[in-house]
Amino acid sequence: MELTDILKAIINGLVYGSVYAIIAQGYYITFITTKTLNFGQGDFVMLGSLIGLSTFMTITATGGGVWIAFIASLLLVIVILGICGWGLEQVAIRPLKSWHSIGWILSTVAVSMIVRNVAMLIWGRDVLMAPSPFGRAILDLGILKIRYHDIFVLVSAAVIMLLLYVFLKKSLFGKALEAVAFNREAASLMGINPRLMASIAFIIAGILAGVGGVLVGPMVHPGAFIGLFLGLKAFAVAIIGGIENPRGIFIGGLLLGVLENLFTLYSTSMKEAAAFFLILVILAVLPQGLFGKRVKEKF
Amino acid sequence: MIKAKWWIYQIGIPLVLLYAFPWFFNNAHTIHVAQTFLITYIVIVGLNLLVGLSNQLSLGHVGFYAIGAYSSAILTMTVGLNFFVSILISGLIAAVFGAIVALLSLRAKGPYLAMVTIAFGELISIIANRWVNVTGGPAGIKTSVPSLFGFELGQIQYMWFIGLLAIIFTAGATNIFRGRFGRTFTAFGNSEVASEVLGINVRNWKILAFSVSAFLAGVGGGLFAFQNQFISSTTFELNLSIMFLIAVIIGGSGTKIGPIIGTAVIIGLPQFLHNFVDYHLMIFGGILLIALILLPDGIVGAFTKLSYFKKFSSKKVNTDLGILHDDRKATIDLPDGINGKLLELKNISMHFGGLKAIDDVEIEVLGGTVHGIIGPNGSGKSTTVNVLSGVYMPTGGNLLWKGKDITKYAPHGIAQEGITRTFQNLQLFEDMSVLQNVMVGFHRHFKTGFLKNLLYLGQVSKEERYYAQKAYDLLRIVGLEERAHEKASDLPYGEQRLVEIARGLALKPDLLILDEPAAGASPKEIEKIMDVIQRLKNAGLSIILVEHHMDIVMNVCDYITVLDFGKKICEGTPETIQNDPRVIEAYLGGEEVNQLVAGTRSIG
Repeated sequence: MELTDILKAIINGLVYGSVYAIIAQGYYITFITTKTLNFGQGDFVMLGSLIGLSTFMTITATGGGVWIAFIASLLLVIVILGICGWGLEQVAIRPLKSWHSIGWILSTVAVSMIVRNVAMLIWGRDVLMAPSPFGRAILDLGILKIRYHDIFVLVSAAVIMLLLYVFLKKSLFGKALEAVAFNREAASLMGINPRLMASIAFIIAGILAGVGGVLVGPMVHPGAFIGLFLGLKAFAVAIIGGIENPRGIFIGGLLLGVLENLFTLYSTSMKEAAAFFLILVILAVLPQGLFGKRVKEKF
Repeated sequence: MIKAKWWIYQIGIPLVLLYAFPWFFNNAHTIHVAQTFLITYIVIVGLNLLVGLSNQLSLGHVGFYAIGAYSSAILTMTVGLNFFVSILISGLIAAVFGAIVALLSLRAKGPYLAMVTIAFGELISIIANRWVNVTGGPAGIKTSVPSLFGFELGQIQYMWFIGLLAIIFTAGATNIFRGRFGRTFTAFGNSEVASEVLGINVRNWKILAFSVSAFLAGVGGGLFAFQNQFISSTTFELNLSIMFLIAVIIGGSGTKIGPIIGTAVIIGLPQFLHNFVDYHLMIFGGILLIALILLPDGIVGAFTKLSYFKKFSSKKVNTDLGILHDDRKATIDLPDGINGKLLELKNISMHFGGLKAIDDVEIEVLGGTVHGIIGPNGSGKSTTVNVLSGVYMPTGGNLLWKGKDITKYAPHGIAQEGITRTFQNLQLFEDMSVLQNVMVGFHRHFKTGFLKNLLYLGQVSKEERYYAQKAYDLLRIVGLEERAHEKASDLPYGEQRLVEIARGLALKPDLLILDEPAAGASPKEIEKIMDVIQRLKNAGLSIILVEHHMDIVMNVCDYITVLDFGKKICEGTPETIQNDPRVIEAYLGGEEVNQLVAGTRSIG
């Protein structure tokens, strides 16, 4: 095994990991506000990648520039997936009488089944090719060749994380979200509407899934049935990092991505198994994930 | 008489239906669907035990199912065992894996628990997929035609065979449901900490719940392996785990007939949707979503809410415990009193990071006394109770019980020694009746084992009736006999506190710790609670009383320890305490505050 292979694996891992992390931030936001999350988040990612792809292809085919096409597809995905997130909260989270039961797991799974079916009817059962706005251009560093798209994903992920961080920590909305997370009743006494916050949280989660989908599209072959795999990876990342800690999730994402790709150097079956084995070990020792808060319950 | 009826419903009628089925639906496809239904049903019965009773979550049941399928295939084909023997062994192998998953997920909650089980299921399906030499991978492996005693089982006979097992397992599960095992499963599913302080070793019980559930999934997998004489790894995917869970929830989790209906939905629906392959997921998802919104308690749960069906309500573990007697005088069973030191706290400290919640505290509790622990908010009273009951492990010092060091004991270990407690933040078993709550308190006195409960032998029902009467007597002592069959969570606050006291008494404790037993109770209820404590004191029970209401403390306690900012500031008889300047300062503030109040001094 050569050094370049290892370097390549690490970079590849960082790229994938950062996408997982972005998707997983959606779990974080909805979990802190409602103690629920979208088990079909992966299917939203799938939807984002396919809508992005179709928009991109339509615009470039009619002579539009690559970047115009990309930005247009990104905006469209943000709008549609934001609406999807809002709709999910309306039909699958809010009507359930109790969030403490596990009904929400199944109701979000039910929505994901519908989403998957719709995607299958529109885009068919097969996987597609999604071009990157950078085409197949490669940055040649001598010992290492990196696709421009990969660099783009890394930079975008960092920017998105930063935006999210600023939004959560500095904006009034963000503070209201955290207030609801900290104490629902107290927040609502302070004039914050927890239901509105729940809607906003799911809208943001939907947007994150969509953007993640647009970014990941050219890296995988998008198709109606890729959602489960992506959602599972992102969920694993959220759990490894600690679902109530956004920075933990980001680190968890990079960690899982890199480890996975390093294992690929040995064998692909190792790669698949590694993530889940890792999770079992981590959670057996640290039941709140690597960076989760360990609270001592009071009785 | 009642017993005979039970057999008719549980065994007789299902057997007749099962036997008659092929005469009404004699075509290969229907029989095949019936087989699938019965196999899945066995899995769902197990999952219902885990999800419905113990409030755990498994999104990895496909793992146990796969383990059952592959082990039985290998044991039959390679080792050459009889298929029935191999299925039972596979169930046991799956049960071992169930125990492992339970151990791995002991402390994981909510989404973390979901992830542990998903990770397990995924690991198993990856192994099934990739370990081609053994499992055949996606291309699959062949198994044999099932045979018993030299007779090959045809399609119909195999359906009968599966059905027979399903009936046996159902009867076993029902017996588990209504006895002390079901009660204990429900108890730790409702409140782990309350179960622990009543002497239930929650870890072991979780392992048991997971193992039983995994056993049934394993047997289901084993039966599946011989259904088509072929298995392939493509069957064992996360989607199947989700389907299993859907069946439990849609049917009505924690109910006895829920699994039948739930299984019928997940097996039957795809049959009807056969002609809509392209819309299959959408229709299924839509129905699932609507069902979850309209019937949050599942189909059975929704029906039991209708008054006509109320009598069939099966969410309750067991209510017909025979006639409860009012005529005999209710007496409290207490261990022999002990004179001298009962419990000693030696330099006990509990630090959370930099916060010294209690620091170097020494307390001696004498047998037969009521020992009060008081102090302002944040003085460390609750922490002390948590340390005493084993909920927290102290960061320093020793806890001596009758001279024996119990510092490192878990809460259930401490309960076994005869110490139990009530909770300031009530920890009732909300899904149970008041009577059942108290019956859980008798946990350490029950003698019958798992197998006897599985068969619900006469011994078991005798024991149940015996402790039901005892629990009822305890309720009479605290004045709640009228409420015995109501849901514990429906009672007013003060009465819920009395239920906790009765539940604690059921343990037959040497020492009962009452953590703010009057908090949130109405004046009338406080009077009742005080009266109960007084009577317990007269009966010779040793009590530690943590309380804010000074009238209770001063009237009932023999000896009082006062805490402030985690330190013991003084102790003595109520008279001493009332006149101690340090206590007055802790409660009312020092000279400074007096001046502030008097207006002779201002802030800033």
